[in-house]
Amino acid sequence: MTQRISIDPITRLEGHGKIEIFLDEQGNVANSYFQIPELRGFERFVVGRPIEEMPLITNRICGVCPEAHHMAASKAADMAYQVDPPRTAKLLRELLYMAFYCTDHTTHFYALGGPDFVMGPDAPVAERNILGVIHKVGLEIGSKVIQMRKYGHATVEIIGGRKVHPCASIPGGMTKGITEEQRTEIEAMGRWAIEFAQFSLKLFNDIVLGNKAYVDLILGDVYTHRTYSMGLVDANNKTNFYDGQVRVVDPNGKEFIKYAPKDYAEHIAEHVEPWTYLKFPYLKKVGWKGFTDGEDSGVYTATPLSRLNSSDGMATLLAQEQYERFYATLGGKPIHQRLATHWARLIELLYAAERWVELVTDPEITSPDVHAKSTHIPTEGVGIVEAPRGTLTHHYWTDERGLVTKANLIVGTTNNYAPIQMSTNKAARSLIKGGVVNEGLLNMVEMAFRAYDPCFGCATHSLPGQMPLEVTIWAADGNPLEVLKRP
Amino acid sequence: MKTLIVGLGNPILGDDGVGWKVAEEVRRQLPAEAPVDVTCLSLGGLGLMEHLIGYQRVILVDSFVMGANDELGSILILKLSELPNYSAFHTTSSHDTSLQNAIELGRAMGAQLPDEVEVVGIATERIHEFSDTLSSPVADAVPFAARIVLDLLAQVPKHKKEYQMQE
Repeated sequence: MTQRISIDPITRLEGHGKIEIFLDEQGNVANSYFQIPELRGFERFVVGRPIEEMPLITNRICGVCPEAHHMAASKAADMAYQVDPPRTAKLLRELLYMAFYCTDHTTHFYALGGPDFVMGPDAPVAERNILGVIHKVGLEIGSKVIQMRKYGHATVEIIGGRKVHPCASIPGGMTKGITEEQRTEIEAMGRWAIEFAQFSLKLFNDIVLGNKAYVDLILGDVYTHRTYSMGLVDANNKTNFYDGQVRVVDPNGKEFIKYAPKDYAEHIAEHVEPWTYLKFPYLKKVGWKGFTDGEDSGVYTATPLSRLNSSDGMATLLAQEQYERFYATLGGKPIHQRLATHWARLIELLYAAERWVELVTDPEITSPDVHAKSTHIPTEGVGIVEAPRGTLTHHYWTDERGLVTKANLIVGTTNNYAPIQMSTNKAARSLIKGGVVNEGLLNMVEMAFRAYDPCFGCATHSLPGQMPLEVTIWAADGNPLEVLKRP
Repeated sequence: MKTLIVGLGNPILGDDGVGWKVAEEVRRQLPAEAPVDVTCLSLGGLGLMEHLIGYQRVILVDSFVMGANDELGSILILKLSELPNYSAFHTTSSHDTSLQNAIELGRAMGAQLPDEVEVVGIATERIHEFSDTLSSPVADAVPFAARIVLDLLAQVPKHKKEYQMQE
């Protein structure tokens, strides 16, 4: 009976990721394609709706990072209404966002990225998940992960009015502030988050950096691509997730461009390939030169690693120490080894936790001044935040009544579609030789895209979550040699 | 027995929103004194598991994509343990684990979770296009599915059975 459920919404399967690998006559990889399905009609769906509804509607696009859409849409609506929210409203938005970041980065590391390192890339598939990690490292790890998520959700709920899908951020600020009692509660949770982030970094240090084989794997050529790096930075060029300018550095680490969110269309264009629905963003001023590395290729990444590469450091003390250690250990800046993204993610986790405490201890955080009214007629607005998996851009145009006439979204993972395609292709070419494909090799290919924390549900404007994978390996005669399904 | 009804899905993704509609219908028909909580969620895996903590009985209502022999709007009743556990094979999700694994994890952490989760699924087709309305056959199934949930509530949980909506 259950076989007929080809897509199982209980596990949130919203489409199949698909890798097609084509072999040549020697059984080596000729090419590979990472394909994903498309969900349609989001831009049409929002046309005719009030722009102030966008923070609520767009956080339904995705169950993985609704908070990111909530914030990007709110900021776009601020701009459309030409209103600058009071300082406390900005603090509250960013505070909510830090709690979300801690939850999200924790989940990715322990449920997805971590298992490859804690269990090992060759571990049996049934063990290479969060349960395997707990069995190996100890139950207390699982308790801490659950606790971190609980505190993240609780903080989002207190500030945002709802768990997971917050509703308190509106054009001009927030619908409500927080009380001193709530502030105290949020501060305690934030302080715990700092300890948890430090614990996670220590775990990474002991298990991954303490193992030469893993360090070699991280630094190996298979997982290396020299591309441009993108990230949001503050006025001091320090990484910021909520606000600032988008900075892009070239493959040598030199600043290439820095732009305000409203100017994104001058710098980013999208390339179309016939074999996939999703577009490939690239740097306009460099141009699309295909799926290739280097300064002459407009391909860029927007990930925890690229955010570290594109900034001059972290704005908090402990994260800055880790930032310096990161580059000292891996051999200078920028770092292009994609598996180092897992480490960068944990440094961001620490930054988010520290920033959480910084924001919640700001003397103005409990001020009731959380909303500024606009007297302007909305026209057009762009909002950018750093979603955990990349720079998120929302752009809306409205008529004189404030009804949306057009929308454009570039979501986190979309930025990374070209690098992901390049990484999986390179890994497949490096690892599959003479037609030999086995489970371990396949996982090594998958590790190439897993580092990016891809969320194609969101990238295709769909619900998120499970990304089942089908790998078809085609022999040179055009017949499928092997089909490996991750149902 | 503390019971939770969860309408699952995305309310703005066409037929994927059917779980919410059924849960709302159940909420309307439930007697005020019934010891049952009803909620609507767009979550899976760990996030969904966290909402189930503290309940002895849980019924999930969700859409499923129909197979070649299914009719649009047909209704399936089964247990979570009868569904394939995708993450048992692999970490299929980039951000999460399966609900089954999440429940196992929660239990290992000492959380009180139901022994079994019942599932009421409605066969859908149009879940790849943004819309806040349901296809006609799926919308027609809403009162039937709500009735099934209310009937299940009146019973002691039983093993799997299948219900095909009568024309």
